[in-house]
Amino acid sequence: MVEAFAVASGKGGTGKTTSTLALGMALAEEHDVTVVDADTGMANLLFHAGLDDAAVTLHDLLVEGTATAVSEATYDRFGLSVVPCGTSLAGFEAAEPGRLREVVAELAGDTDVLLLDSPAALGSKSAVLPVVLADRVVVVVEPTIPALSDGLKVQEYARSYGTETAGVLFNKVRDDAADVAEQAERRFGGPVLANVPDSDAVRAARRAGEPLLAHAPESEPAASYRRAAARLDVHDRDEGAVADRFRSAVVPDTP
Amino acid sequence: MTGTADAPELRIPRGDLLRSRVVSDVGTSLARALDRELTGYATLVPQETLLLESDARGVVTFADGVPVLAYNTVSDSGGPDALAELAVPGPYRVELYAVGDGALETAHEEDALRVAPGAAATELADDQALADRTRDAAPDERLDAASDDDGDAVAAFLEDDERIEAIREQARSEAAERASEWGLDDALAEGDGDEFDG
Repeated sequence: MVEAFAVASGKGGTGKTTSTLALGMALAEEHDVTVVDADTGMANLLFHAGLDDAAVTLHDLLVEGTATAVSEATYDRFGLSVVPCGTSLAGFEAAEPGRLREVVAELAGDTDVLLLDSPAALGSKSAVLPVVLADRVVVVVEPTIPALSDGLKVQEYARSYGTETAGVLFNKVRDDAADVAEQAERRFGGPVLANVPDSDAVRAARRAGEPLLAHAPESEPAASYRRAAARLDVHDRDEGAVADRFRSAVVPDTP
Repeated sequence: MTGTADAPELRIPRGDLLRSRVVSDVGTSLARALDRELTGYATLVPQETLLLESDARGVVTFADGVPVLAYNTVSDSGGPDALAELAVPGPYRVELYAVGDGALETAHEEDALRVAPGAAATELADDQALADRTRDAAPDERLDAASDDDGDAVAAFLEDDERIEAIREQARSEAAERASEWGLDDALAEGDGDEFDG
């Protein structure tokens, strides 16, 4: 079985990468999980996962003719399979976004859950592809009007491509924030997976180059992410069919 | 929005124009007011015309640089409701005015128009650092009085059917338009008529 989730927000700074790795580690207690940094223009998952010096990354897989195998860019870290993305502009420019489909198809053949850490903006083909390819989207938002507006926008993009909503993750929630979960659930048509509190533990984990659930597993935000993962309710899907779907996703190789 | 029949109006002296600018980020203007400890007000006119918000003209008043009241002169909404209506993507035309000491005291007694000290920075400028800085500068009684007002604006936004539908509609048409641009037409889902509740 495999299900692919895009972790998206429509804007930067909402904690997508922290959330992707935290959900991944929580889900890894029951599933084989593969996390992909699909933010090919502004990759940062490698810094969160202690993979700063990864020699082969997603960028290499997205360049035609390098014959790099997907397995070479896949690293076992923190109980997850992690496919980081490089940070060089040259790597980004050489990458062909359409090839992400092939990479995702191959990864789908060998995992239970695929998490695609998605770009912040929606302004390019490479930015929108993770949302196109995923089965469901997890919308990460701070409980503010600008963030919710962008979250609604990314959800609508996802719906346009037939990608359902797994839920909304409220992140960086402050003590005095009002509880708008019920209204948000109605608006997004999906559950609020958790209210993850604003916390120094998250910043400390980031500085340490470790995922939150490795760095501070007993912290309050870590517990929130575990609750969120439990609510995701991963669907059983036939992995062959999913891989085929990715391969046949009507994404031309050239933009 | 949710204005009531006897909704209070905002009456403030005109004051002296300090600055008039079209800004992409209202945070610039809020930070300027904070840094110069402005007692006065800002008028905000969103330049966005695609959504409904061309109807919003806002006034945010300041006491010693910290926002006190928010008011939408088009809808006559005040407080968090007004902030929610004004919280649209930029740019805005912003004018900053200074008024004499004490000239806003009467206006500032109108609780119904009040907003939390950091709410304008959070909801209009999407700037938590500025919101923190503003809260630090606010007198204690303001912090005690209005701890939930940020959330009130978010709740008002989530209750605004027309606004949410406008965001969705714009995103749908943008997605469709870009799908053809990027050769993703065939990946678009069939039909888009199934609406969520609300």
